[in-house]
Amino acid sequence: MDTSTKPLPSVNSWTKPFWQGVREEKLMIQKCTECGQPIFYPRMCCPFCFSDQIEWMEASGRGRIYTYTIVRSNAPSSFIADMPFVIAVVRLEEGVQMLSNIVDCEPTAVYCEMPVEVTFEKLSDEFTLPKFRPAQA
Amino acid sequence: MGKLKGKTAIVGIGEVPTGRYHERAAIVCAIESCRQAILDAGIKKDEIDFIIPTGSMYSSPYNTEMCTSRIVEELGLARKSTANFQVFSGGSSTGNILKTAAGLIATGLAKNVLCVHSDKLATGISAQGGIDLFSTAGISAEWEVPFGMHYSAIAALTMQRFMFETGTTAEQLASVCVSNRKWAELNPNAMHRKPITVEEVMASKMLSEPLHAKESNMLADGGSAFIITSAERARDLTDKPVYLLGEGSLVTHHVFSQDTDLTRLGFVEAGQAAYKEAGLTPEDMDIAELYDSYAVYQLIALEALGLCGRGESGEYVQSGHTWPGGELPMTTNGGMLSQGHTGAGGSFAILVETVRQLMGKAGERQVPGARFAIETSTGGTYMDSHAAIFGNIIP
Ligand SMILES: [Zn+2]
Repeated sequence: MDTSTKPLPSVNSWTKPFWQGVREEKLMIQKCTECGQPIFYPRMCCPFCFSDQIEWMEASGRGRIYTYTIVRSNAPSSFIADMPFVIAVVRLEEGVQMLSNIVDCEPTAVYCEMPVEVTFEKLSDEFTLPKFRPAQA
Repeated sequence: MGKLKGKTAIVGIGEVPTGRYHERAAIVCAIESCRQAILDAGIKKDEIDFIIPTGSMYSSPYNTEMCTSRIVEELGLARKSTANFQVFSGGSSTGNILKTAAGLIATGLAKNVLCVHSDKLATGISAQGGIDLFSTAGISAEWEVPFGMHYSAIAALTMQRFMFETGTTAEQLASVCVSNRKWAELNPNAMHRKPITVEEVMASKMLSEPLHAKESNMLADGGSAFIITSAERARDLTDKPVYLLGEGSLVTHHVFSQDTDLTRLGFVEAGQAAYKEAGLTPEDMDIAELYDSYAVYQLIALEALGLCGRGESGEYVQSGHTWPGGELPMTTNGGMLSQGHTGAGGSFAILVETVRQLMGKAGERQVPGARFAIETSTGGTYMDSHAAIFGNIIP
């Protein structure tokens, strides 16, 4: 993807460890130390039990595609040059969901429930995005 | 009896034609719609004590004017009205305005509430401006915007999973547009009234697979308004009040990709609450006025509200059951796919149409003998699901 004009993530103060993690090619999610639930996207307090005792953990990076689309036209301005590209909701093994792009494969090869794994794409010196590609056997 | 059942009623509606009107200002649509609603209700304008405008997206200054009581002054209600404030949640604004207004009336805090919307999404912004506006409005700037997320993709992601789980076909989704268009052909206020076929929808430009251009809403200029009052006052004003019989809603997410069931959203819970309060069942519904910013959301609602079985909505629509003359008329103004998408006004127009049908004022597209209708709306990235049941009798 052409990364020069891309919108950069608007980062919240408590989510910085996530963005630090992806910069180091680690997919960090949160885990509540009281109820044990994995949490994504990062929260200030546990959305399950409301505890503020939350720790960071590295996710496996493996998951399945819950749903996807191949963007063929009418993309936002800064993504027009990238078409066709795949947007997908990925369900990680840990049970949390996130939006990403599916890369390193033909868009038409993507399907619901496809096993995928994380890969990292540098957007700028400050930002790297977690993307997903077909899981290697 | 529930909290609101039969306590409030809509007594007047107004609407200007939807479409591309370069010369027509948004405020003109708002004033004209309000005036029509007041005249339709046969109420003295000075009796309007609460004004609730919803949000307008094309212009922040215009939106601010509406928040700061411009309508009150334009209608000559200064020093007469008690309150003017905005209720806005994107496409579900109507559902939330209904809750707010009905609650205020039921407690006696408000007497006659005028609710109004107008926007200028066709000619007030450029085509790419529209795409860019809707690629940030309600989409997470941290977790989704950086991946190219926008509204066509959101609809496509929803369709893909819905098709995967229910076996609904692309032709069946396209047939929703045909159903809506058949109604729009009979609606003088609709933007697109030319007949359309499944083949034409399928041949239209692929936006985000599997979403075709003709399965998307059409951004439009427009405006509409309605007046809601107590059931007692309504019976003084008209012999056909349209009573609010039940309603329900559920907020399912803020960030789209966090929703755990895109094939139902919150419509199961919203519908159950509405049916329970109304004391009615899906079989009692004569009309389904379903929010349709994209075709898939009507199919989701048909199934989640129990109007069709799981996986059966596509075939149901394809068979013509929701067309004029069908057993369950659906989205009878043509919806946002044909009447046009005026922002929060999309659901406003669907509510106004619900009332119009139950008042018996729907002209060529009147559903004969309609008594009960279920109406839906959903806002932002389909973050919330609202269902409301109306009737021209209290069962
Ligand atoms: Zn917890």
